[in-house]
Amino acid sequence: MENEVKKTEAAPSWISTDFPIILMLMLFAALLSIVFFREQSLRLDESQSIWQTSRTVMGMLSLVGKDVHVPLYHLILHTWQIFLGNDVAVDRLLSLVFFLLSIPAIYSLGAICYGRKTGIFVAALLTLSPFMNWYGNEIRMYSMFVLVAILHEYFFVKIWKRGDFMDWFWFALVSVCGMYTHYFFFLLVLCDMIFYFFHKEIFPKDAFKKFFKIGIFLIVCFLPWALFVIYLGGISSSEPALTAPSTVDLFNTFSQFLFGFQTDHLNTILVSLWPLTVFLGFLALRKGKGMAPETLYFLIVFLLPNVIAFIVSLTLSPIYLTRYLIFTIPSMYLFLGWLFSTYPKTLSLAVKCILIALMAATLVFEGVSASTPVKENYEEASTFLERNASASDIIVVSAPFTIYPMLYYYRGPATLTTLPIWNQEANGPIPAYSKDELVKDVATLEANHSNLWLLLSYDQGYQKDVELYFDTHYQKLYSDEFSPGLTLYEYKLRY
Amino acid sequence: MKNNSFEKAKTAFLQTRSHRGLFTVTAILSVVYFYVIAFTFPVGVSLLFALLIAGEIFHVYQVLSFIFTTWDTSYLHKRDPSFTPHVDVFITVAGEEADIVEETTRAVKNMTYPDFSVYILNDGYVAKKENWKEAEDVAEKLGVFCITRKTPGGAKAGNINNALRETGWGEGNGLVAIFDADHIPHADFLSKTATYFFDPKVAFVQTPQFYRNFAKNYITRSAWEQQELFFGPICRGRNRFNGVTMCGTNMVLRRDMLCSVGGMSEDSIAEDFLTGLLLHEKGLTSVYVPEVLAEGLAPEDFLSYSKQQFRWARGGFDALAFGFLSRRHLSLAQKFQYFSSISFYFSGLVVVMNALIPVIFLYTGMIAFTVSTMFLAAIFLPYIFLTLYMIQLSSNFSFTFRALTFSMGAFTIHIKAIWAAITREKSSFQVTPKKQVEGNFVSLVIPHIAYIVLVLGGIPIALMREGFSASFIANIAWAALMVGVFVPSIYAALPSGAKSHSKHVARTVDKSVSVSV
Repeated sequence: MENEVKKTEAAPSWISTDFPIILMLMLFAALLSIVFFREQSLRLDESQSIWQTSRTVMGMLSLVGKDVHVPLYHLILHTWQIFLGNDVAVDRLLSLVFFLLSIPAIYSLGAICYGRKTGIFVAALLTLSPFMNWYGNEIRMYSMFVLVAILHEYFFVKIWKRGDFMDWFWFALVSVCGMYTHYFFFLLVLCDMIFYFFHKEIFPKDAFKKFFKIGIFLIVCFLPWALFVIYLGGISSSEPALTAPSTVDLFNTFSQFLFGFQTDHLNTILVSLWPLTVFLGFLALRKGKGMAPETLYFLIVFLLPNVIAFIVSLTLSPIYLTRYLIFTIPSMYLFLGWLFSTYPKTLSLAVKCILIALMAATLVFEGVSASTPVKENYEEASTFLERNASASDIIVVSAPFTIYPMLYYYRGPATLTTLPIWNQEANGPIPAYSKDELVKDVATLEANHSNLWLLLSYDQGYQKDVELYFDTHYQKLYSDEFSPGLTLYEYKLRY
Repeated sequence: MKNNSFEKAKTAFLQTRSHRGLFTVTAILSVVYFYVIAFTFPVGVSLLFALLIAGEIFHVYQVLSFIFTTWDTSYLHKRDPSFTPHVDVFITVAGEEADIVEETTRAVKNMTYPDFSVYILNDGYVAKKENWKEAEDVAEKLGVFCITRKTPGGAKAGNINNALRETGWGEGNGLVAIFDADHIPHADFLSKTATYFFDPKVAFVQTPQFYRNFAKNYITRSAWEQQELFFGPICRGRNRFNGVTMCGTNMVLRRDMLCSVGGMSEDSIAEDFLTGLLLHEKGLTSVYVPEVLAEGLAPEDFLSYSKQQFRWARGGFDALAFGFLSRRHLSLAQKFQYFSSISFYFSGLVVVMNALIPVIFLYTGMIAFTVSTMFLAAIFLPYIFLTLYMIQLSSNFSFTFRALTFSMGAFTIHIKAIWAAITREKSSFQVTPKKQVEGNFVSLVIPHIAYIVLVLGGIPIALMREGFSASFIANIAWAALMVGVFVPSIYAALPSGAKSHSKHVARTVDKSVSVSV
């Protein structure tokens, strides 16, 4: 009898109490996916993933190598498609799986750092995160990147808290996966190094040697890919060109990490509330509530990559893209979890509830609002063109890389091409835009076609030129916007 | 468990740390922040911009002076445990309740030191307190001396000087220890302070002014938490500049040196501050002992708190009027330390200015500068958060939200003190009540409440003019921040602010005190 009591006490309490909560959160996220995100049109990035993974493995690796990405996600997606097919919903399911696995992962990380209550809170934040839900339903590597980042942070924390062989082993393994998930993973490794420099004393004595060995191991593992990219002739992006970010972009990133993609007006309201963060900081001034090493680590992981990407973009070359920095979301939520846990109980509960309510509201708004800025309704545009463009017409998309989603959806009789004209099957980058080339390209397209449908999205700096050229040379018959920034025009080429 | 936390409270704030890397980064960031807003931001309304810049100069000065002071808080003076000169212990009384005086006197008598005499300095008679005879009764009961002053003048300083005269003025090499009526010394107080006087240059030794009733209610807690930053890193840092601030109680002075400057200064209601300054001016040495060796009482109600704060602020401005900045014999570092102490009381003006800027926008649309609110955020947030973290780290996480909001919410007191100093209004020395004054002190926070009303009234006006623009939202958020900062003061002024936190806490504190005594 006594033994039984002891056994019950010894049983990990989270199994009985927290496991159902985490499971509910995962089910909730899955349900959200079905309700809000599953039926959405394929987006440009997704179409690129499908296009790339529909090749042979070597063909796919070549495409990815020339792109700004690393291949692990594509390899997994390729395998996934072999078994389950390459329907949009099925492909999105892979990202959803990564997202759903991130929920217990962040709970575990939160629980070992701050206790189970904070673990549940950060798991709830991740579940309700409009940003995470968006990328948890996109055929890209971002939700996988988040999962890998959480696991990496988990084992990094475990190393200084426990430091047994398995912690080191999993840390090394997850790091290799991270390197092959996104180039920005190196920023996370940099954060580890900086944190180690500040807090050497909390790590096991032989930690430096082990980190050094893992570093060598990572370099050796990454070398083949680096050599392969060099062999291919370096990275030649077929993605949207990036511009140097402003401080508005920086704060938009933080806002999006919490409240997702909102209309400009709503987003302006949200980011303009920043002075309240000062008050949240004031509230955290509590006696004896110092910043534990974990908190410093999460703060570094949250802020440093954003700041580095911002500064590099301003000074060297634009690399700042909110989704590339998605891996900093868990550390942001964990930092908030710690911050709110320093408040008095009632205040803490109130602030947590307000944040959760705000995130839930913005999640719904992001899901249902047609004006959500990142929605790309290529599906509806294609359906419209299937109904209205005849065999004598030509459909032109610009920027050229936006042809991928159209290729996926469009099954009509008209010819589909790009401006500048680009053969995506051939090796080499997208041709550069020039006004002379535009005239030549349009002259080529004009021949043998009566009407031209111009679908403009993703301004690469010449969208206005293209639009102006057609407006001044041809009669505009029709125009419509299918989603923010995705506009279709019809021009009369010949009578 | 609770006893542990009480004991911890007496040591935690003294475990200061100087993170020079963080100090350096914060200093650089402060200067960069100031440079950016002062020289790169397009000016909106010139007057507002000028006010804002003046406020920011003040803030950056405060940050830099904090860094300068706390750069090294490890400096400790030498002492000789075998040096035990005679000490006259003065307990200043001006009508405090007999039980309080008796408790302090008993603790003084119980000090383990070979050679000391105890005097109750009874100022109740000149202060026209009905209970003035009680101090004499206590003295008789406990077998200590009692000096009852019959000729008024000079308030607490006058009382001490009278006792000095009665006990031989500046004769001999003895020491004088001074305790307020409620400040109960530990048994080892003298053995841990008098021993510093083996150095013939040492004029006074100051110890922290710990409040043993800090856990009683919201006000006592806030008042103590405000003190912690000062008695923690700031006082410890001042040791190295020979710039320790004399605080009027829990201190020991060398009798002849004190008398050489005319005794305690009777020219100001902050007699201690000025006396310390005069001793420093003579090239003498001050010592801060970073250990709680006596335990006093914090003001328990908002009225008492306000009076205490006003007295300190007014005293500071008196010292400024005294013209210490032009005194030749103070070192630059000492002048800087004194100026830093006084300049704190100017913060009320800056708080008002910061609070009014969003309100002016709400009513008129006028702004100080025309820059993207996000750009401002990008340079302001790292600066403010790093500064707060630096303060937290160097005070061993003793600086709290309550302390911050009480400092900022005291803007009315600071401005009143500035006005009193400008108009040379005579302010009488009032002993901080040692027992709670019951009542509703909302009248003391009318400006705080008026600010909230002003903000609420401005919202529809600005909304009609601007719509939900970025400027509108940002200014509302600024105003909300200030409202959030003022609310604790309003709460403290209500009867609920002075309500005891719990009987359990009160019992624990009592028990701890009796243990420590």
